[in-house]
Amino acid sequence: MKVGFIGLGVMGAPMAGHLLRAGHALAVWARRADSAAPLVAAGATQCPTPAELGRRSQVVFTMVTAGSDVEGVILGPDGLAAGLAPGSVVVDCSTIAPDAARRLAAHLAGRGVAFLDAPVSGGAQGARDATLAIMAGGDAEALERVRPLLECLGKRIVHVGPSGAGQVAKVCNQIIMVAAIQAAAEAVHLAAAAGADPARVRQALAGGSAASRVLDVMGERMVCRDFAAGIEARLHHKDFGIALEAARRAGVPMPLAAAVGQQLNALMAQGWGKDDTASLLKVLECARA
Amino acid sequence: MRIGFIGLGIMGRPMALNLLKGDHAVTVWARRPESRQPLLIAGAAEAGSPAEVARSSELVISMVADAPDVAEVMLGEAGVARGAAPGLVAVDMSTIAPAAARDIGQGLAAAGVDFLDAPVSGGEVGAIAGTLSIMVGGSAAGFATAQPAFAAMGKNIVHVGASGAGQVAKAANQIVTGMGVLAVAEALAFAAKNGVDGARVREALLGGFAYSKILENHGQRMLDRNFKPGFKSWMHEKDLNIVMQTAHELGLCLPGAAATAQMFNAMVGSGLGEDDSIAVLKLLERLSGQAS
Repeated sequence: MKVGFIGLGVMGAPMAGHLLRAGHALAVWARRADSAAPLVAAGATQCPTPAELGRRSQVVFTMVTAGSDVEGVILGPDGLAAGLAPGSVVVDCSTIAPDAARRLAAHLAGRGVAFLDAPVSGGAQGARDATLAIMAGGDAEALERVRPLLECLGKRIVHVGPSGAGQVAKVCNQIIMVAAIQAAAEAVHLAAAAGADPARVRQALAGGSAASRVLDVMGERMVCRDFAAGIEARLHHKDFGIALEAARRAGVPMPLAAAVGQQLNALMAQGWGKDDTASLLKVLECARA
Repeated sequence: MRIGFIGLGIMGRPMALNLLKGDHAVTVWARRPESRQPLLIAGAAEAGSPAEVARSSELVISMVADAPDVAEVMLGEAGVARGAAPGLVAVDMSTIAPAAARDIGQGLAAAGVDFLDAPVSGGEVGAIAGTLSIMVGGSAAGFATAQPAFAAMGKNIVHVGASGAGQVAKAANQIVTGMGVLAVAEALAFAAKNGVDGARVREALLGGFAYSKILENHGQRMLDRNFKPGFKSWMHEKDLNIVMQTAHELGLCLPGAAATAQMFNAMVGSGLGEDDSIAVLKLLERLSGQAS
């Protein structure tokens, strides 16, 4: 299939690589042209604009940061929308607000182009290992058409519902995950302050009811004080803005997410936005200094 | 002074009436024509659009709901900028985000209009009595021009700083009042659950360090179970959202305001949005299964 990929960052680059290795004709575009070099060396075609990429592709993946970035590459000058033929499919894997996804879907539907919101969970490791969880919203038929492509990227592909539903699922994912990171940080912090070795505590917990992937992976980082990103904390901060706005629109209270959001604000204020979210531990430590 | 007034709701109407009482010539415009009536009867002139208000005024004041409304009346098709002579001073007294106020100020500056953000505190009671607190951001010259109008509407009038500074002060005000209302409601719920008379608790606290206007006024209304607005809880929710958005953008940790904002969010979501913000007491009672 003729596939396009826009956004070749820490997530997008390995995802695009899987599509290329699966034998698809891959066209790429990235804001920083040099980030396309490894893929071009492996056989991908670099396009000068998203519009040109749209002209060459039946299915286009976008993996960028914010809703405004997705809107920019699709609807901006020389955007995807200018190049896509009716019948093509856009699969946006970025994490953006459900409302923004619905607006884009409605806009592209007017041009006969299907838009799926298909955010992912699993981080950089999941992107490299092609084990991402993919939560999709939008037309079921369009999803079936791109399913073989999604199967190159992840193991668990769930059609959550109509347009925006994938992003709603991602919001739910982020609430649970980052709240769990905060819980792990508090546990590690308390253990150290109360005179128990955090590494031993983590080891003891791993066998019980509190065991979790977050405690496993992020707890390890905290214990080793390895705060180099995995996924940069600023992205979780961005996602919490989306989550709390969604809660506000729904009139649904989220006292815990709101509290965690404030710890993330403090993390940003400390200048740790490009570090791992395990840095929430350091935010707790700030209160003692 | 020839003053234009845009937005004649719960707050705007009494504020405009006080300008008339202060012997200013007032021209009004409001989205709903029927809300203009009380002002016309009291002697105000009517204009067909915000632009037309600007044409016949030295000073234009807006008091509307939210930032998009302010942008529309100031910078829209038939907005103030379209009718303004250079040197006009425009004052927005609505509560909007500081960043939005700065943007609107820049848009108006391009049309030669000096913009002040001048949100108020004191509610409907203060608007009627002409005792509002007015917190002003913008140029000193604009502030001096608007001073006679402010004096007719309020008492504690402070030039806080440059453009947006008035809205920063108002957001800070909403942090204190939002958490204050919740604190008083929690204190009264605590008394009730302990089987102690809330009225006596309030009376005892009024003499000490817990004294506040909110304990005195809002506390009394809670005891009277008088949930009539006053200040609607959906508006307090909107204002706290401005606080939380700004904190998110700046990277500022506000745990108390965040928890409070979620309580107001729950109120709006559960049908208490049109009640006064003291209805946060009802929400507390629901959460703890207290009969109300």
